[in-house]
Parts: sequence; C-alpha cells; structure tokens
Amino acid sequence: MLPDGRCDIIVRKNIHRSDPAIPVITGPSTRAYTVNYEKGDQWHGIRLRPEHGAALWRHGLVDAVDSVLRGQAAKAFLPALAALDDEPMSVHQLERVIPTPARPTVDHRVMWAIDNLHMSGGRLRVEHLAQRLSCTARHLNRLCRQNIGLSAKTYAQLVQFHRTLRLITESDISLAAAAFEGGYADQAHLTRSFRRFGGFVPSEMPWELSLPTLFQIQV
Amino acid sequence: MKLGYTIIYVADVPATIKFYEKAFGVQRRFIHDSKLYGEMETGDTILAFADLDVSEMNGLAIVPNDPRGPAAAWEICFVTEQVGEAYERAILKGCTPVAAPSEKPWGQIVSYVRDLNGCLVEIASPVRAAT
Repeated sequence: MLPDGRCDIIVRKNIHRSDPAIPVITGPSTRAYTVNYEKGDQWHGIRLRPEHGAALWRHGLVDAVDSVLRGQAAKAFLPALAALDDEPMSVHQLERVIPTPARPTVDHRVMWAIDNLHMSGGRLRVEHLAQRLSCTARHLNRLCRQNIGLSAKTYAQLVQFHRTLRLITESDISLAAAAFEGGYADQAHLTRSFRRFGGFVPSEMPWELSLPTLFQIQV
Repeated sequence: MKLGYTIIYVADVPATIKFYEKAFGVQRRFIHDSKLYGEMETGDTILAFADLDVSEMNGLAIVPNDPRGPAAAWEICFVTEQVGEAYERAILKGCTPVAAPSEKPWGQIVSYVRDLNGCLVEIASPVRAAT
C-alpha cells in the first residue's frame, strides 16, 4: 500500500474463520507498507479526508504519523469499534465509528491548500500558497500539522509523488519526461522521492502496487 | 490540424457559463449532466469550461485561476464593433475592469477585463486589413 497522508479505519475479517474481526487504525501515512492477504480475507475500510485526521487522533495526530493500532489497541482507542464485533461487516457500519461529534472545525485555509495542492500536482510551493492565504509558510505548515498531521510541504511531496507515479504507469512517457512534468529537479530527485514514499525506484516498479484513489470518494 | 477548443478549468462550470452569457452575450452550446464540462457557441473554435477536478482526474497539474492574484499568462479575446458597449456590459455584469477601451496606433480599439475566475478577457474591435 502506498502512503497518501491520510488516516484509515479498517476492519479485517476472515470468512473461513470464527475469530472476531480485527480492527486497524492508521495514522497519517508517509511510508509504504505491505499487506499480506489470506484466502477468505475481507477488508472493510474508511479512508478519511486528509484534513479530518485530527477528528480521529485529536492532539496525538502528529505523533500518530506512520503508526498503526491493531486489535485491542484499536478498540481501546476507539471503543465504538468493539461494538461491531458481532455484526456482519459493512462500510456503513464503519461510518458510525467515525468520531463526528468531536470533529474539530477545519480551518478553511487548510482545505484551500489541500485542494490547490491536488490541482497543481503538488507543484505549488508552500510559500506561494501561504502568500495567497495571507499567512506565513510556517503558519500554514503548522495549520496542516494540526489538521492533517503532516506539514504542507510533506503533503505536497506526497501528491507530487502520486501524480508522477501515475504519469509513469499510465501516460507512457519516459522517466526523464515524467520527472520534468512532475516538477522534480532531475531524475535523481525523482528517484529519491520514490524511495522515500514508495520504497522502490521508478525503473523497478513493483507489479502489485495498490494505488489509493485520492479524492474519488469523499467521506 | 486546427485549433478546435479553448478549455478553461474553473471551480463551477454552470456558474461560469451563466456568467459568460450575461457578461459577454455568448450563448451556451451545452452543459454535460455531470456539470463538469460545458461549451459555448463560439463558432469554429469552441470556448469550453471544465471543472478543476477534471484536471486531476486526467492526471494534469495546473495552477488554478485566482481572481485575487495576478492573471495567468494567456487571455481570450472577444471581437466586436461595439467595444465600448461590450466593455460596459461586462463590468455591469460582474467583470473586474483592467483597461478601458483605447485606440491602438494601428486603429484597433482594445479593452481588458477579468472574469469571475480571474481570467483575462480582451474585448477588441476587428483588426482592419492594411490599405
């Protein structure tokens, strides 16, 4: 699974076994991880919009980056998950566990910055975004950390990574051309970014990549 | 090959089309049911609007137009014999004035406004062939 800076609430259940479902809660992700499947596995999950990470993790959001809570730890963190043990699993049931009552009001500047980073493929500089929002880059980074768990710069780099990955896998252009259009200084810069966020180099793409579909479904 | 379309990515396709009908007197050709794309009746070269989200779906990276910032480095130009009237109408219907009509040394009347999305729109008279 490739990271996209968002938090997930996932429940894993194997239909061939009577074990209770295993809940998994992730913090904002910036590193790729491997998921091992077994025959009969069913996964139901909700991927939160990036700015809603704070609703889940509250003040622990920044420390939750790249962390995962499984099983009892997840239930202890979000007790509503325990109530799902005896019910047949569905995404609609998972929606109920999202901590909406305490959802903080998201600063409109964070949402504007996220939208503009997605539209620009992560290529707009944080300083430029901050200037448009009449605040400093430092303040915008802090707002993003409070709501997403990541700085605006890190989130921009994730968006840039995903768009360039898509250019390479779908657009049939050379690595050098993808690096240029993706906004990387050169191919070495592209390679460093792919190592950091994907754990692989662009010339040796793993075939079983799972690409998160950013902003296709809004929760 | 010929220039077939000018497509501008905007936050709200129906609102932009409505605005262009009022401000510049061009009629809509259609708006897709999804509200993500629409075209104007502008002759052989079609002026079209697509939702900003479409750019991301198509794998493009763009800098969204912003009425509060400087305009992007391109413009569209409407040509009319009545530049003054068209300019006044555009301002009256919500365009931001940039340059009132003035005559260029080559005899053309030229004016500039910015639309609801901050895009630069020129309203000018036809360029007369040299005699």
